[in-house]
Amino acid sequence: MSFLLAATVSACATGQSVQGETAAAYPTRQIEYIVPYSAGGGVDLVARATADYLSKEWGQPIVVVNKAGGGGAVGAEFALKQAKNDGYTALAVNVSNTTMLAAGMKNPPIQNEDQIYTARIGKGTLAFAVKADAPWQDFAAFSQWVKENPEELTWTSVGPAGFSAFGVAQWLDAIGADFSKTRMIVTKGASDSVPKVAGSHAVLAVHTVGEIMPMLAAGKVKILAVAGEERSPFLPDVPTAQEQGIDGLTVFWWTGVSFAKGTPDAVIQKWEEGIAKMTSDPAYLQKLGEIQVEPAYADRQQFTQDTEKETGAYTELATKKGIRK
Amino acid sequence: MLTIDTLQLLLVGFATAFSLENLLMAALGALIGTFVGVLPGLGPTSAIAILLPVTTVLEPTQGMIMLAGIYYGAMYGGSTTAILLNIPGELSSVPTCLDGYPLAQQGKGGPALGISAIASFVAGVVGVIGLVFFAPLLADQALKFGPPEYFALMLLALTLMVSLSGGSLLKSFLMGAFGYALSLVGLGPSSGMPRFDYGISSLVGGLDMISIIIGLFAITEVLKGIAEKRKATVIGKPGSVYPQKADMKKSAAPMLRGGLVGFFLGLLPGCSAAITAFLAYDLEKKVSRQPEKFGTGAIEGVAAPEAANNATSSAGFIPLFSLGIPSSPPLAILLAGLMIYGLTPGPVLFAQHADFVWTVIASMFIGNMMLLVLNLPMVWLWVKLTRVPFGIMAPVILMLCTIGAYSVRNSMFDVWIAFLFGGLGYLFVKYKWPVVPLILCFILGPLLEESFIQTMAMGSGSLGIVLSRPLSLSILLAAAVLLIVSLVLNRRTRQRLREEQKKGVDVA
Repeated sequence: MSFLLAATVSACATGQSVQGETAAAYPTRQIEYIVPYSAGGGVDLVARATADYLSKEWGQPIVVVNKAGGGGAVGAEFALKQAKNDGYTALAVNVSNTTMLAAGMKNPPIQNEDQIYTARIGKGTLAFAVKADAPWQDFAAFSQWVKENPEELTWTSVGPAGFSAFGVAQWLDAIGADFSKTRMIVTKGASDSVPKVAGSHAVLAVHTVGEIMPMLAAGKVKILAVAGEERSPFLPDVPTAQEQGIDGLTVFWWTGVSFAKGTPDAVIQKWEEGIAKMTSDPAYLQKLGEIQVEPAYADRQQFTQDTEKETGAYTELATKKGIRK
Repeated sequence: MLTIDTLQLLLVGFATAFSLENLLMAALGALIGTFVGVLPGLGPTSAIAILLPVTTVLEPTQGMIMLAGIYYGAMYGGSTTAILLNIPGELSSVPTCLDGYPLAQQGKGGPALGISAIASFVAGVVGVIGLVFFAPLLADQALKFGPPEYFALMLLALTLMVSLSGGSLLKSFLMGAFGYALSLVGLGPSSGMPRFDYGISSLVGGLDMISIIIGLFAITEVLKGIAEKRKATVIGKPGSVYPQKADMKKSAAPMLRGGLVGFFLGLLPGCSAAITAFLAYDLEKKVSRQPEKFGTGAIEGVAAPEAANNATSSAGFIPLFSLGIPSSPPLAILLAGLMIYGLTPGPVLFAQHADFVWTVIASMFIGNMMLLVLNLPMVWLWVKLTRVPFGIMAPVILMLCTIGAYSVRNSMFDVWIAFLFGGLGYLFVKYKWPVVPLILCFILGPLLEESFIQTMAMGSGSLGIVLSRPLSLSILLAAAVLLIVSLVLNRRTRQRLREEQKKGVDVA
């Protein structure tokens, strides 16, 4: 009943908004925030915290709708191509369903041109995890072993062109090991792949720090290195790969908000400003910290530039390593 | 293992769980859960998903207590519709339909519901006791299951097809193959490439399990009702919900066996309540002296899967709490609930939030008790629900089916699929093609494929690894034994069936 009522109310609201919507008026009704993954993952948790914050800020409900499937492509296709581009359907984007999708597939269902990258919210550092009692004490020794025995390396990935695959490809490229000789074990996600390393069914798992945290805290796995230029604030004792003499590991996980091409500028601006304010609010930052996501705000211009650059770099890497299909 | 410390923590947990608010939360959760679970197509997963936002306004302990209540309630609600309407809300209730519905048709719906409630309670308690004792110990075992073990386990599960064929093996295999083919649609689990999508973007996401289940089980039932010009849904009187001594005696051992099967297999991540419920049903059929009675209204066929189903749900909390591994979709949503509260599962959870964990465990005891105390008397309400004329029920069921199919992915496509399979299901039932192998292969197909590809990657393109690892080899041998036993027993059952038919017993 309340469902019907809500539908009627929103239908009325649509009617009014046609007569003249101004930047100040947006939003005048409920916003759907599409998360193209199932509930409980990193993208979902950040989106839920964001929806919670902005709906209080703007006084209109922002409803998170999970449309999982196709490695994030199904929900993205819905939000960017099927829904109206009136600013009432937002999309939670992340590295896997944008730049890596474009790099991994010759005909990706979603491209950078289909969307307006509105604002980046947070990022996650990539960590290289092996079994707790594995013989390697540091990342340099591990890299040396892989270089000598590439066929011995089994590593878990989320999809053949997800960030684990790009992280591993980049690392093997940096140390000069043969990517094609290693064995990729495709899993459903971190909750499936980290236990495989802990149970010695695979040697290496590459995921964000937050995703590895439960098994790390349980003492089942150890982290040899993190990617990026700085140590993760959640793992201050774990050195970066760079510190151990392996340069060029730049792959990281990020999440943000996108809108369909043609969405009014006023809407984009409102979200940009809203997210800028949100990512400097200590209460919100604490929430991000609890799910081990680092704040990484970028405005529309910066965000768009970064994704374009990233797409180029990943396409090159994917082509070189034969990931692009 | 159980130590004085654990016991003390559990007692403190009980003290907290017995506070008025927490009792209220458990009762409320169990009631709402049952209510939503009774709606066709809305199983535990959708129930928890829908109600999760409601619980986030509560503080973590109360929220989790309520969620656990919803989970148990929805599981039980699913059994109620399975028995009375032949509509399983969740796949794990399918085995309950097999004997529960015939019982309801014979006017024994009441005792079947009673046995189902008691079996759920017994198994729930078995599961929770196991959780208390073995949580830290068994979590380690779960890790030993790698891809080769899962591959072997899937083969073992597929041997179930032989025993669930209910007649023609050929028809059963063909339906299984059809189910497997359906599971192939969408993105390949390993390649990530779309297949069999025929350029239709909705097919890229694959066919959803729930919409197919709703179609084959719920919509088919409505179509059958329309075709039969059914007047009221209940055939005969359901009888008292309090089962007779004879029924209790018959069900005691199946409950215990089902509970144990459900609990121990439920410890394995990915071993869903559906798998254990089917296994328990099958096991009961195997050990029974009258296997031919199964499918025609054997009370054991209700008790065992119900017990297994519930024990698995409790056991699933072990990998969830101790390792953060959700073994089923509803638990994945519970995991999301934990994360929203900033409580990351893992042994750290036991260490840092011991009060929270033990309160939730204690409230599971209470939640199970609530189900028994509230649901046994409440059963009449659900029974009354089925007395409403079919002309009114049919559109209501269809509406709920539509909402249920839609709510999974918020997509109309799934609704059309549900109706398509409703029509197909009607034809299958009419021409006596078994639907259970279809569903079984549809669910297991992707798991089999995934573990196969992972195993191949681990073994550098060779399956020998399955034979060289003791655990996977043992499972494989068990599967082979099971297959032979199934074939032999199946033949025996068919012979017995013919004998009975000669005697003039009407076995469909």
